[in-house]
Amino acid sequence: MSKVLRKKGVSLGAVLLAIMLTITACGSGGGGGSKSAALPDLDGRYTPDPSTPAWKLDTKKETTDLTWYVNADWWNTDFGKDTVTKKIKEDLNINIKFITGDDTKLNTFFAGGDMPDIITVFDSNSAVAQKASTWALPLNDLAEKYDPYFNQVAAKDTMNWFQQKDGKTYGYPDYSNTQADYDSGTIPAKTAFIIRQDVYEAIGKPSMKTPEEFESAMEKIKSQFPQLIPFGFNSIGTGTGSLGDVLQDYLGVPLEDKDGKFYNRNLDEDYLTWLKTLNTVYRNGDISDDSFADDGTAFEEKVKSGKYATIMLDGVPQQGGNLQTFMTNNPEDKYIAVDGPQSTVGNQPTLNQSGITGWMINYITKKAKDPAKAIQVFTYLLSDEGQALVNFGIEGETYKKNSDGTVEFLPAVKELQLTNSDKFKKDYRMGEFIFFGHDRYKALNKDSSPEAIKQMQEWGNGKLKPHFILENINPDQGTAEARSLSAIDTTWNTTLVSLIRSKTDDDFNKTLDAYKKFLDDNNWSKIVDIRSEKMQANREKLGIK
Amino acid sequence: MAKLAVTEPVNGKPNEKTTMGQKIKEFAVDFWRQRELQSMIIPGIIFMIIFCYIPIYGLTIAFKSYTVIDTLDSAPWVGLENFKIIMSDQYFWDAVVNTLAISFLKLGIGFIIPIILAIMIYELSFTRMKKFVQTVSYLPHFLSWIVLGGMMINWFSTTGLFNQILLDLGIISKGQNILLDPGKYWWIATLSDIWKEAGWGTILYLAIMAKIDPTYYEAAKIDGASRIRQIWNITLPNMRSIISLNLILTVSGLLGSNLDQTLVLMNSQNRETAEVINSYVYRMGLTQGDFSYATAVGLGVSIVSVILLVTANKVTSKLNDNQSVL
Repeated sequence: MSKVLRKKGVSLGAVLLAIMLTITACGSGGGGGSKSAALPDLDGRYTPDPSTPAWKLDTKKETTDLTWYVNADWWNTDFGKDTVTKKIKEDLNINIKFITGDDTKLNTFFAGGDMPDIITVFDSNSAVAQKASTWALPLNDLAEKYDPYFNQVAAKDTMNWFQQKDGKTYGYPDYSNTQADYDSGTIPAKTAFIIRQDVYEAIGKPSMKTPEEFESAMEKIKSQFPQLIPFGFNSIGTGTGSLGDVLQDYLGVPLEDKDGKFYNRNLDEDYLTWLKTLNTVYRNGDISDDSFADDGTAFEEKVKSGKYATIMLDGVPQQGGNLQTFMTNNPEDKYIAVDGPQSTVGNQPTLNQSGITGWMINYITKKAKDPAKAIQVFTYLLSDEGQALVNFGIEGETYKKNSDGTVEFLPAVKELQLTNSDKFKKDYRMGEFIFFGHDRYKALNKDSSPEAIKQMQEWGNGKLKPHFILENINPDQGTAEARSLSAIDTTWNTTLVSLIRSKTDDDFNKTLDAYKKFLDDNNWSKIVDIRSEKMQANREKLGIK
Repeated sequence: MAKLAVTEPVNGKPNEKTTMGQKIKEFAVDFWRQRELQSMIIPGIIFMIIFCYIPIYGLTIAFKSYTVIDTLDSAPWVGLENFKIIMSDQYFWDAVVNTLAISFLKLGIGFIIPIILAIMIYELSFTRMKKFVQTVSYLPHFLSWIVLGGMMINWFSTTGLFNQILLDLGIISKGQNILLDPGKYWWIATLSDIWKEAGWGTILYLAIMAKIDPTYYEAAKIDGASRIRQIWNITLPNMRSIISLNLILTVSGLLGSNLDQTLVLMNSQNRETAEVINSYVYRMGLTQGDFSYATAVGLGVSIVSVILLVTANKVTSKLNDNQSVL
C-alpha cells in the first residue's frame, strides 16, 4: 500500500472517497427525497387490536422474507438454526436474511436505493440517524396502522427521546435505560476501581480514598510487587480511556453548572487535583508509559494475565471474559472492586451506564416490502415474551422460572455454558440476539454474567446516576462548531496524557494553560451555547425541570 | 455534416482529404483488421473510464456540503467554503509539515540506501551470500504495517526488546517508550520505512545492473580501473535512467506519505508530529463523516502532487541530457 501510494502520488483519501461516492451516485438517489408514501393496506389479513400483538393475529400464510442490514461486521448472520432464532422464525412465520457491513456498505445502500427492510446502526448522532425521516418509516404510524400493541411494549421515554422535529419516532434502540430503569436498581454499574485481592491483602487493605492514601498505596504495591504495574486504565487510543469522563463520574464531578448550563468537567478543580495525583504517581514510576500507547488488545492481555495491581476499569461486563480467565487460573488472586479515589470535596460517585440513547438503533425502511410484518418483529422482540426468549431461551427446554421471579438455566444448558461456550452459542444463542436487548431482563438470570464480575457489579449498586441531559448534545455534524469540537477533543486527549506525564508541576500548569487557550481560540463559547441549548431541549423531552 | 462532407480537392488529388463517412469506414476497417489487438485494450479502457474517470465527478462534493443521506446532486453547493476552512485549520497545517518532513527524510536517506545496497549486493561475488542478503532484505516488505507496527510497539515498550538491550548495555537506567516522544517520531517513521522497503527497492536496480554489458567491466579492468572506479564510471551511469524514473515517482508522492504506518504508530502523545495528510483525510472523512472537507483536502493534495510530478520530470530530464523519462 505504502509503495503504491508513494509512487502513484495520488491522495488515497480523495480517490477512495470519490470512487465510493460516485459509484453510489449512479444509483437512483436512494432514500433521500422520497415523500412519505402512504402505508400499504392490510387487505383483510387481520384487524389490529391494541390488546393483542399483531403477530398473533396475522393470517398471512406464506413465509415473509425480510432483509435486515446490521452495520457491524461481527454480527452472526445465521437465522433459524439455533433455539432462539428458530422460535422467532416459527412464531412470526418469517425468514430473515441478515447482511452485515461497515459504513461504506451502509452508504452504498443509501445511494443505491436498493434498501433492506430493516436497518440497524450504532451511532444515533450520525447523519444517517439524524435524517431518518427521509428514509425510514415512522414507528408511530406503523404501530397505529398495523400493530397498536407496540405502544405497550415500547418505553415512552425512549420513544420521546428519539422523536424528530415532525413529532415522530423512526428508530428504536437496545439497552436504552430510562429513569425508571435507574430507579429500579436492576441495571448494573459498568465502572469500578478494582485491585488484585492478593495485592490488597499483602499491603494491608489500605484506604485509597484521598490523594495521599492513593499515592502511598501505589508505592507499597511497587515495593512489594515489583513485577506488577501498580495502576492501570483502559486503552487511551483516540479517546481518554477511563481517565476522562469515567474518572469524572467516579469522582462525582457535577454534570452541569448551577444555572443548568454546560459545565466543562475537564477543568473541574476536584478532577484536576486527582490528575495532579496521577501525575505524582506517574513520576514515582507507578504508571507504566506503555499504558498510554497500548491498544485495546494489549490492555485486555494485561487484564487477562493480571499484570495490573489496580485498574480504573470502564466496561466491566466487556472485560468479564478476561477477568474470568484470570480468576479461573488464579482463584486466590481475583480482582475485586474497592472504594478507590474519591472526591476531595465530598461529591458522591455518579456512575454512568448506557443512557437513554442506548446502543444499536433499529429502523424500518421506506422500501420495506411488508412493513406490517416488520413492526410485528419489533413488537415481538420488545415484549416480555420475546425478551425471555432471546435472553433465556424456551421455558422447560433451556430454563426454569423460580418462585421469586428470577430464572435459571437448566443443568445441562448451564453445564454447556461453562464447558463449551462455542457450542453453547451455536446451539442456543441466548443473550446474543440483542437488537432490542435490555439489562433489566439480563438481571433476572444469575447466569448471565460471569462469576468474576458479580462482586464488581454489586459494588456499584446505588452509585448510578442518569446522564440523560448530556446525551447527544454535540453540535450537528458538518458545522463549524462540530469541526472545532473535534479539534478540541483531540487536543484534550493529548493534554490529558501530557498532564499525567508532566515532568514538573510547572509543566503541568503550562500544559493546562495551553489547553485553556486552545479552547478560547477554537469557538469554545459557541460550543458551550449549543450544548446548553441541547441540554435544555433534553430536559424538555424528558420532562425534567 | 453536410458541410463537412463537401471537401474541395486539394492539389487536384481528391483522395488527400476524405469525407467523414469515409473516415468512419476506414476506422472500422482498421479496427476490424486489428480486432484481436483491440479486444485486448478495450477492457482496460472501459475499466479506466468506469473506475478512474467517472469517479472524478465525485470530486464535486469538495465544493458541496455533503452527508451520506444526500446524493451528489441534492447536496447544497458551498463554493470554496471547505477550502477556506482548510486554510485556517491548524491540524491540517501540522499534518502538512509532518508529511513533508517525513517524506523529505525518506527521500534524502531512503532514496540513496537502496542504490548503495543494490551495488553492494551486485558486487558480492559469493553467490549464496548474495541470494541470502537479497532474501533477508526483501523480507520485511512482505509484512504489512499492521504486523510490523505491532512488533515495533512491542519492541519499544518499556519492557520490550529495545529497552532491554539498552538497559543491559547500561546506556539507560530506566525503560522509556520512545513511541510516546513526539521529538523522535519523524526518525522512527523514516528508519522503519527504510528497514521495510530498502531491500525491495533494490530489485529494479539489480535488474538494470544485470543488463550492463560485461565487456565494459572487462575493458575497464584491462585499463586498470579499481572497483570503485568501475562502479562510478560504468554501473552508476548505466543506472541513470532508472534512478531518475524512481526519483520522479518518489517526488510526486511526497504528499502521500505512508497512511498505514501512521495509523499503526500514531498515539495520543506523538500525534503532533505523526499525523500526515492522508491519516488526516482518513480521520476527517471516514471516521468523522466530514466527507466534503476530506475530499477538499484530498483534491488539493492531488493537484500539488501533479505539480510536483511535472516539476520533477522537468528537472530530471535536464539532468539526463533533456531526455524525459515520462
